This record gives sequence, structure tokens and C-alpha cells, in this order.
Amino acid sequence: MSGATNGSYNFKVVLLGEGCVGKTSILLRYIEDKFNDKHLTTLQATFLNKKININGKRINLSIWDTAGQEKFHALGPIYYRNSNGAILVYDITDEDSFGKVKNWVKELKKMLGSDIVLVIAGNKVDLEHERTVPLEEAESYANMVGAKHFYTSAKLNQGVEDLFLELTREMTERHDRNAQADVSRTSRVLVVEDEAPAPSSCCSGAKHN
Amino acid sequence: MSFASKMPSLRIDQSDLKCKNGCDYFGNPQWQGYCSKCHREQMMRQRRAEKASTNPSATLPKPEQKKPERGLKLSSHSSFSKFEEKRLRQSETLKKANLLKFSVFKKSSSDDHDHTPEKRPPEFKIPAMVFEGMKHDFRARFPALAPQVDRDARVFVHSFIMDVIKCANVMTVDELSERVQRQYQRFMKHMDTSPHFGNVDSDTKELLLDFVEKHAMTYLHELPSVVFSPSGTDDERLDRAMSERIQQLSWVGERHLECKLDRNSAACRQLLYKAISELLGMDSAMSPGGKLARVRRCCRHVLALCGAPASADDLLPALIFTVLKANPPRLVSNINFVTRFCNAQRLMTGEGGYYFTNLCCAVSFIENLTAESLNMDKKEFDCYMAMPASIGGSAWAAALSLCGCAREAEEQLAAAQALLREARDVQAQAQAVHDNAATFEEQIVKKVQDVLSKTPLEIKPRRELPQFGKFKSSAKPLIDLEPSVVPKETNPEPSDQALAQTGTSVQQPLIDYKDPPIDHKETEAEQPRIDSRVPIALPAPPLTTKDQKEQQILTVDTSSTEPEKLNILGFEVIDRPSPKSPQNLDQNWDLKQTSSLELLTPSLLGFTPFDSRSIDELMTPDEFVSDHLAPGLSNINYDIDLSDFSGDNSLAEDAPKAKDPFSPDGIKKFDPFAPQPSTFAETLEKFNEFSLVDAKTNRPYDPFEIVHRNTDPFSAGLAVTLPQQTTDPFSPQQKEGTSILDDNNSPTAACLLPSPLLPQSSGKPA
Repeated sequence: MSGATNGSYNFKVVLLGEGCVGKTSILLRYIEDKFNDKHLTTLQATFLNKKININGKRINLSIWDTAGQEKFHALGPIYYRNSNGAILVYDITDEDSFGKVKNWVKELKKMLGSDIVLVIAGNKVDLEHERTVPLEEAESYANMVGAKHFYTSAKLNQGVEDLFLELTREMTERHDRNAQADVSRTSRVLVVEDEAPAPSSCCSGAKHN
Repeated sequence: MSFASKMPSLRIDQSDLKCKNGCDYFGNPQWQGYCSKCHREQMMRQRRAEKASTNPSATLPKPEQKKPERGLKLSSHSSFSKFEEKRLRQSETLKKANLLKFSVFKKSSSDDHDHTPEKRPPEFKIPAMVFEGMKHDFRARFPALAPQVDRDARVFVHSFIMDVIKCANVMTVDELSERVQRQYQRFMKHMDTSPHFGNVDSDTKELLLDFVEKHAMTYLHELPSVVFSPSGTDDERLDRAMSERIQQLSWVGERHLECKLDRNSAACRQLLYKAISELLGMDSAMSPGGKLARVRRCCRHVLALCGAPASADDLLPALIFTVLKANPPRLVSNINFVTRFCNAQRLMTGEGGYYFTNLCCAVSFIENLTAESLNMDKKEFDCYMAMPASIGGSAWAAALSLCGCAREAEEQLAAAQALLREARDVQAQAQAVHDNAATFEEQIVKKVQDVLSKTPLEIKPRRELPQFGKFKSSAKPLIDLEPSVVPKETNPEPSDQALAQTGTSVQQPLIDYKDPPIDHKETEAEQPRIDSRVPIALPAPPLTTKDQKEQQILTVDTSSTEPEKLNILGFEVIDRPSPKSPQNLDQNWDLKQTSSLELLTPSLLGFTPFDSRSIDELMTPDEFVSDHLAPGLSNINYDIDLSDFSGDNSLAEDAPKAKDPFSPDGIKKFDPFAPQPSTFAETLEKFNEFSLVDAKTNRPYDPFEIVHRNTDPFSAGLAVTLPQQTTDPFSPQQKEGTSILDDNNSPTAACLLPSPLLPQSSGKPA
């Protein structure tokens, strides 16, 4: 769900990924520019707001961390409902985590269609020597599903800024496009009824524009 | 129904027992007097009508109408009839419930729901209280915003509430929710377009939207089954199901959820306890925003519980654990309420929204909890689930109850500490008051000493003038006799006394002046007393205004200073009439004289007839001496001089020097009078003086005399006294009394003012 009231955008971004792939670390690195090996900070890193400016557009990012344990996988839809973007994080040293990303992508595509902007992040590139997920495979998969792929290291602060910047740009673009589409679509609303599981969100989004 | 009213007595007519419909069957009170067949038909009709009008009220009156019926019935009937009634009603409700899926709560809610179309439109009105509260809240929260904004908000809330209530009966909950969301957007748009909101920034707009949402929803929340667990939903049933489910899962511990909680840590328990109480508080919050705030606070505690930095991986299990331990009431209803009617924008992006989402996840997890999700064996899980709920979770329950106790103890401790602090404050204040009193006392003593030092003690010998004090006292009683004058004079006196710290009555102090001053003239300790009395004597005359007196009473410091001022004023005035007195003496003299002068002027006008005697007497002195004052004083002086001044020759000498011209006159006058007063005084002295004065001449004269003759006698008296003192050492006491008696006019007025003054004046020169 996005809101564009008087030129400012509100975007909701969820961080998805298996436990211990570094979701929280990426978040912390981006918002606070901090990395904590020992997790000693008193900061909570589950929900963070970030205001950024891109091309004169004020954008308010709400970044939600999610519980990555397998047993909570079923709760995913509650988390990513109405989000504008998702960051799918995997650990380049952990093949399983990459498989998990594939699952998430499938699920997101199914639930939210093309409304959501996907970014895949291969984290922990500082552990390059332990890499188990082949670089080509990851990138080609990302291309296939229409997602951007980034290599990041929360520890070394590599690629994190780029990741969020690109995601935000993409979301803004997508939002503007949808806004235009909405204008044209409102005339033939009855015809285009393919994906609309959450009527309230669609309506509200349309109303804003 | 009418059937009941037909049975006032124990006599039951045959016809009364027949069916009300007039068929030949017997009727039965339990069936409202119908036979069974007619009753069934009647019931059917009623129910149809009910359904058509969606008004179940027909069912409600029945029990009410049955009540009188039952009351009139014989007791033998009652048990049976009650039972029948119950059965009947039960069957009715059962039928109804079947239509609506059996649910006790549902029934009531459906009833309410059915009522709405009939009831609300005609009579519904939003209580003014809602808007009053809004106005208040608005001023408190947005003091900077224009009043139009406030009005707009209220108008919107009104239309919003009315709209929701109107739609509540014809829409499903989801439609209603959508409509509410559209209302929020409408208001947002209004804020963006309306000129009133031109200078309101976007953050404030968000707050305004929250504000509007809060007030509209708080009101709607109270309406049954409109927005909170609305009719037509399963919310209430789900609430109960969830509550049972949580109770069943009470055995689930931190181990199963893999969250790192330490039951043995007091801090951990405290945090969990706080989180739980916040979660429980969610039900009592009325608006979606309020509920969200509760959830947010709860989750913050949970995050603290998880350690730092907590990630969602930690948060969710801990939150699930918290929910399991809290078992919040109406959890599902609350969640649905927020989901449906909270401003969607905020629910999707705000921090509260995030935590709320986590709560939703926790609830969802609990709903679908299986053995796998707890990483445990299926058999073991089933075993746990089969266990009676009362057994499980005892360890945590105990820990939490401990927590509650600890918390209570903490609160008690805090309260005790607060009390202690308060007690200390009080103690400190008491100490401060004590210190203040002490310094106050010191200051008074100091001031008194200052005054004493300013006005030399040597005057005391001349205290013969205390005789004036006697005069004063005598004058006062005189005043007392007359109602009008009395209050004024009496008032000043007590104040004066208070200042002087003399506990004795007015008369007594006067008496005291006479005797003790004479005796103690030499001792310094006594001097202060005299001095203190001197200022008193000054205010004592009616001249001083009440205000001044009050001020004196209020603050000793001021009082001490004020009298001095008074004295000074007096001096000025006095100087004119009695130039003869030395400058040093002048100050004191002036005070007395000023008062005397003022008094004199009125007195002369009013009282010439009464005073004729005195005047005549005075005249002789006047003749001797050019000034009237001198003779008057001379009269007074007799008394004073005689009493005081055996020892004060030196002082007397000083005074006479200044007053030389007057002194001879005074002496001449005194001599003739002295013998007369002395005789009277001997007999009467203190008490007699007063009584005599009062009884004889004074009642009519006193008021006048006091005013008039104070001036004359004083001025004259002062001048004369000094010489007299020298001349007549012992006689004064006697003379005082005599003087009062004889010349009521001159002594009464003169005594009050001059008596204190004289000693002072005399003291200074010495």
C-alpha cells in the first residue's frame, strides 16, 4: 500500500529471508550505519522508518523485519500484505537460504502479482571464500523473475546503500506508473479484475491519486 | 395480557379460564390466556410480524407482562408456571438462536442489530458530550491551529459517525470498513484542499486524522455491535475460541518457542509482566489508535525482554509467548476492530502498525499451532493438549503472580517513599517556620531596642506622664461607655497592647504604667517596656487609622516603624503649637501634639458648652500665659508631675528650660488643683479613677473631650508637666486621679496622648 499525499510517498518494504541470513544487520547498517558483531546495541531493529529524497520526491520508507524461522513461514502473508517492496535476503554461504528466497519469490508473485518490487540480496560477501551459491545462478534467477540482484555485506557496508536506493527508485517508478494506469483503468474498472485480493487497499491507493 | 388484569381476586370465573380467542378450549396463563392451539398461532403471527419489521421487541414485552400475572397467581401455581414460562422462553430463544447460529452473545447482538433500523434514525443523536470532549482535546493538543480547523474536525466527526451508524445496518462489516476508510481519505483530501489547512504541515495533518479517528471511533466503539465485534460476524465466538485455545496451550513454555527468556531473572519477569499488562489493557482502549498504542508499548517491553538488538526473529516468539501468558480478553474482536477501522495508511506504515502486524502473526500462529511448529513429538503434543488446562503452565503462572506481588510491593514502596518525602518537606517547612519565628522574635527585640535607644530611657522618670497613661485608660473606659466611640478606641488599644506584649486589660496597663515606671525608672529592663508602650500610646488615640493599626498587628516590624512615623508626624504638628519644647523633645511632643491639634480643632467647635468649666479654668492659665495650650497642659501636668518626679529633677530641669515660659503658669495652676485631685485619687486610685470618670462627667463629655481637649491639655500639659514634676514629686499620682475626676475634659483627652509623649520627650533631653 502506498500513499502519495502532497508529493510525499509512503512505501512499505519487508525484509524476507531465512533466519540468520543477516536481515536485521542489513537493516541496522542502512538506518544507523552500524554493524554489530556481538549484537550489543540497545537498538531495536525490527521496524525502522527512513526518510529519503530522490529527485526532489520525499519518500518515507517503512522497513519491516520479519521472523525468518521456518515455523513462521506461514505468517508471511500477514507481513507482506500491502507492501510496495520486498528485499529477499540470502546468505551466499548457505544454499538453503537461496532456495528459501525462491520460495518467497514464488509466493509473492502469487499473492501480490507485479505490484511489488523485488530485490534479491546476497549477503555476507565478506565471506566470499565460503560461497556456496554460484554467482551466475543467483543473477540469472533474479533476471528471470524481474528482480534486481545485489551483493551486500552488512559487516563491510557494501552494497547496502545501493540496494535501498535502487529499490526506492524502482518503487517510485512503479508507483507513478500505477498511478497513471489507475487513471486510465478507472474507466474500465470492470474489465480489469484479474488481481484484486485486497479491495480496500486498491481503492485507497486509487483514491489518493 | 388483559387476562392478567382480569384476575385481581382469588375468585376465578369459568369464563376467565377460557381461551381468550373465544374458542371453547380452556386458556392457560402461560400462554397469555390462549389455548394451546390459539397460542401457537398467535406466536407464529408474532414472529412473522417480528421478522417483517425486524423488530423482536414483541418478544421482550412478554416476560414483562407475565410478571404481574405471576404475582397475582396463587403460590401453588407459581412453581409450575415458572417452569413453563422458562421452558417456553427457552424454546423461543432456541429457535431464534438456530437462525443465527447458536450463541448466547450473538443473540443479544443480533437483537441490538435488529433494533437499529427502527430505533436509531428517529431518536439518534450524538451526545453533545462527544463534541465537548473533542473541543477540549483539540485545544489541548493543537493549541496553534485555527478554530476553523477545530470546527471542521467536529463537523467531519459528526458526519462520519452519522454515516457509519446509518450504514451499519445495511452493510456487511467489510463494506462498512471500506466506507470508513474512504471517510478517512475524504478527510485527508479535505485537509489538502481546504484553505483552512493551508498552513498545516503534513505531520500535523496526520495527527489531525488520528485525532478525528480517535474521537469518532471512541464513540462508535461504545455502541453495541456497530464497529466492535459487529453483528453478522463471528468475532465473539472466535474470541471465546481463542481464549479457550490459549488456555489449552498454557503449558507452552519458552523452551517450546525457542525464545530466550529466563524465568529466574527478576528483570525478565518484570518486563514480561509489564508487556502482559499492556496487552490486557488493549481491550480497555476505545479507539484503534489507543489499541495500537497499547500494542506498541507491549511490544517494546517484549523487545527489551529479548535483549538487544532484537530482531523480528526474536520478537515474534517472545510475543507469542506473551500472548499465551496474557490470554487477553476479546483478542480477536480487538484485532478485527483495529484491522477494519483503523486508518489503513497508518496500519500499513507506522510502528504501531508493525507491532500490530506482529500481534496478528502471533495470534495466527497460536490458532494454527501444531506439534511441528513447536518442534515436538506429535504424541507428546497431544498428551499436553489433552491435559486439563488447570495443570499446565503453573511455573510461569507462579512466576508472574510473584511478579504481580513484587510490582504491588514496588508501588507500595514508591507510595511510602513519596509519603516520606512529603513528611520531610513538612518537617523542613516546620523548621523554616520555627526559624522564622525565632528571627522574627529577634527582630522584634532588636527593633524594640532600637526604638528604646532612639528614645532614651531617662524619660522614664518623667513617666509621671504615665499618669497620662492613666488618663488614657480612664479615657478609654469613658469612650467605652459611648457606643459609637467605643469600638474605634478599643480596637487600637488591644493592638497596642499586643504590640507592647502586655497581656493585661487596657485599664490595668495604664495602672501599671503609673506604678512600675516610677519604681523601675532606674532599671534598663523596664525602660524597654516603657518605650514599647510609648509607641502604643501614640496609636492608642483615635487619631490613628484602623489600617495602620492592622498593619502594626500583622507585622511587628512594620508596627514598630509605623509608630515612629506616627510620632514624627505628631512632632511636626506639635512643633507649631509648642515651640517652647526643646527640639529633642519636640519629636515626641510633636506626635502627641499633632494628634492633639487635630482633636482640638473639632473639640473647640463642638464642645464649648461642656468644656466651659475647663475652659474657664484654662482661661486663667491662658491669661497667665499667652497660649491656651499651656493652661490645659498645666492641668494635666499636675497629675503626672506629682506621681513621677521626685527623682527626675534633672530631667525636669531640662524640660523646664525649654518650656520655661509655660512652666510657671502650669505650676501656678497645678497648685490649686492638686489638693483636690489628691483627695479623690487617694480614695479611688486606679479603679476609682475609672469608675469615677465614667460615672460623673464623662459619658456625655468623654467623646468630645477626648478629641478636643487632648490637644489643648496635652500641649499645655507637656509644657506644664515638666515644671510640675520638678515641683511636685509625690503628688502626681493623687493628682492624676483628681485631675481626671475634676477636669474631665482636659485630663481624658490629654492623658492619652501626652502621657507617653512626655516621658519620651523628657528622656531625650536627658
